Amino acid sequence: MGLLDAEAGKRRLLSVEIPVIERYNDGRDPDFKIQLARLGSTLVLRYRLKPTHNIYQLETRLVASYPTVPPETRVVTPLKCCPHLLEGQTLCLWRQGSTRQTSRWDPAKFTCIFAVQAAWRWLACYEIWHDTGEWPLPDAK
Amino acid sequence: MDFRPLNDTERRQLIGALRGNAESNLAILMDRRTTTFAGTTEEITDDEVITAIRSVPCHY
Repeated sequence: MGLLDAEAGKRRLLSVEIPVIERYNDGRDPDFKIQLARLGSTLVLRYRLKPTHNIYQLETRLVASYPTVPPETRVVTPLKCCPHLLEGQTLCLWRQGSTRQTSRWDPAKFTCIFAVQAAWRWLACYEIWHDTGEWPLPDAK
Repeated sequence: MDFRPLNDTERRQLIGALRGNAESNLAILMDRRTTTFAGTTEEITDDEVITAIRSVPCHY
C-alpha cells in the first residue's frame, strides 16, 4: 500500500492520520505544532517536544508502506550517545528488524501520534539517563 | 544544546510517572501548549486523549 498514492493509503491518511494530527495541533503553541512535509513517497512529521526544560527537534517518517511498517523517529537535536539510540539518532522504539508478529507496533491500534508520544517518553528517559547514567525503564522482553 | 538538568524533585516525579506508566498503566499528561510534563492520571477524559501518553508498548 502506498500511503500517498494508493487508495487505501490515502484513505488511511485522510480518515485517521490527518484528523489526529489536527487534533494534536489544536490549541498548541505554534512552535510545538506538527508540520507536515512530503519527501518522495514518505510523509515527514516535523515537531518539537519539551518533556521538561529542554526542547528537542524531531522528525517522524511515515514511509510508503506505513502503517504496516512502523513510523521511524529520529531526534534532530544533537544528543549524547546513550542506550536505545540507533544510527542517525533514530530512536529504538518498535524493535527494529522484528517480524510483524513480534513487533510492538500495531497498525490496527496506533496512529502517528502514538509515535510522537513514544518519542516524548523516550526523551523523558533520556533526560533522566543524562543526569544519572541509568535508563529509568527496563528493556521490554 | 545547552542541557538544563532536572532538580531532585523533578527527577523523582518524572521517574515515578514513567514507572507508573510502564507498570501500572498510569497515563502521563503533556501540557497542551508546550508538551511539558504535567503529571499523571488514571482516568483520561475525552479532552486529554491526545495529550495523555498511555503505556505505549515500546522496546525500551
